[in-house]
This record gives sequence, structure tokens and C-alpha cells, in this order.
Amino acid sequence: MNLFGVMEVSGSAMLAERQRAEVVTSNLANAETTRTPQGGPYQRQHVVFGTAAPGTFSHELSAAGMNMPMAMNDPRGQGVKVQAVVADSAPPVRKYDPAHPDADAEGFVNMPAINPVEEMADLMGAARSYELNATAVQATRGMITQSLDLLR
Amino acid sequence: MSNLIDNGQTKLLGKFLDLSVYRQGLLTSNIANIDTPGYQTKDIDFKGELQRSLSGATDDSSPSFGPTVRNVPDLTTRPDGNNVSLDRESMMLSETSLKFRLAVQLMKEQFKEVSMAINDGKAS
Repeated sequence: MNLFGVMEVSGSAMLAERQRAEVVTSNLANAETTRTPQGGPYQRQHVVFGTAAPGTFSHELSAAGMNMPMAMNDPRGQGVKVQAVVADSAPPVRKYDPAHPDADAEGFVNMPAINPVEEMADLMGAARSYELNATAVQATRGMITQSLDLLR
Repeated sequence: MSNLIDNGQTKLLGKFLDLSVYRQGLLTSNIANIDTPGYQTKDIDFKGELQRSLSGATDDSSPSFGPTVRNVPDLTTRPDGNNVSLDRESMMLSETSLKFRLAVQLMKEQFKEVSMAINDGKAS
């Protein structure tokens, strides 16, 4: 894998971290949502990360039958991918609010089990990881620029 | 007889650059997988690999060419089975970039000498 492939790895991580941030902000936005198309309150969503070879140019070429000298199990080719978005299995929080239109006969409303503090911490984690990967892209970019200097 | 272009110095620098790129790949993989459960930090024995490639033990053209990747010991594993250390990876990232830059500069100096020989001892 060359340096451009290295950038693809960081790129895959930036994409995954952004998807994680999207899911977390969705959780935050729906912290009070009691009605969903599936019925019932909104359920907190989690992202599941897994290693994956990024869709690099050379990968595309080998997939298209071109003979590229690149092992698919290259340990450096390990980017990251959101493998699944799963719903939290925690039961909804029952809140007493008889005036609420979705309250049951006893006056309780099923609210999503979302802790905004937890979500904010997760969001910060995603932002930090995104930044770190952006730094890695810059470092790799610097290396590419420097090796181009050899031509001058 | 040694010549200006293809000598031990340029060969060493070439291998050094190759290994730096390889290591950069592993570092970015480590950074990319900082939140992946079960992922273990990977690295190469830089000095050992450099010596190994210079001793002629490896053949670049053989398909099995490539340094031996190993898991980095003595890192704290988090409850999700991941042991990527942010500090280690940031440090190594700067180190690798700087070393790469150094090798490129040294390589340029090598070529400058050749250029000088071509241009009757004048620079450029």
C-alpha cells in the first residue's frame, strides 16, 4: 500500500466517526420523542465499529480483475467501518405526566432512556477521534509532498 | 566500484523511506481503529527490519516481501479489548513524519552531488 492508500485508511475512520456523531446527535435530538413510525418511544441507537479494508483505488482495480500486487490481508489496510447501528435494549423510562397525550391509563408516559450527558461525552469522543484522524491525514499529506520534492 | 547514484547510502535511505511508509500505514490503521472493539496496536521492529533488508535477506520482488507486523506489548487494554494509546500513536506519527522528512532531505543531497558532477561542479 502506498501513501495514498494510507490516506484512505484515515478517510474511512473519518467517515465512520462522522456517522457515529450523526447517530449520537440523533439520540440527543430525540431524547424526548415519544412517537416513532415503529410505535412507542424513540430507542437509543449505538454504532458498532469493525475493521475493514477501505475501498481504495487499488482495491477497486483488483476487484475489476486487474492484477495489482496487493495482499487483501495487508495489516496496513485496516480501515474502520460502521458495521451496524443497533438499538439499545434498555426499557423506556416511565415518567408521570397525566397531561401528556401519550400517557397511559395510570398517567405514565414512556420516555426514551437517553442520558444527555452520556451522549455529549460520546459526541466529544467522536469529535476528538475525527480530529486525530485529520491530523494523521495531514502527516501523510506532508510525507507525499516531501517525496514529490525529490523530483525537483 | 561504487557510483554516485546507486550506492550504499541511497540504498539505505530508500529502505528507510520504504519502512517509514509501511510504519505510517500501521500508525494510521491504529488511529483509525481507536474505537474498534478488540483491535490491538500493531507496529514493526523498525531497526531490525532495516538491518534485515540491508543484509539482503529479503527480496523486494518476491510476493512475500514485507516486514513482520507484531502487536505492541505493554499497552493497557481497555474493557472493550482495544489497546490503542492516543499518546503513543500521536508521538509515533510525528516521529515517523520527521524521520521521513530527514531521509528525503538526505536523499536530495545525494542527488545534488550527481547533479553537480553533471554540471561541471556547479550547483543546481
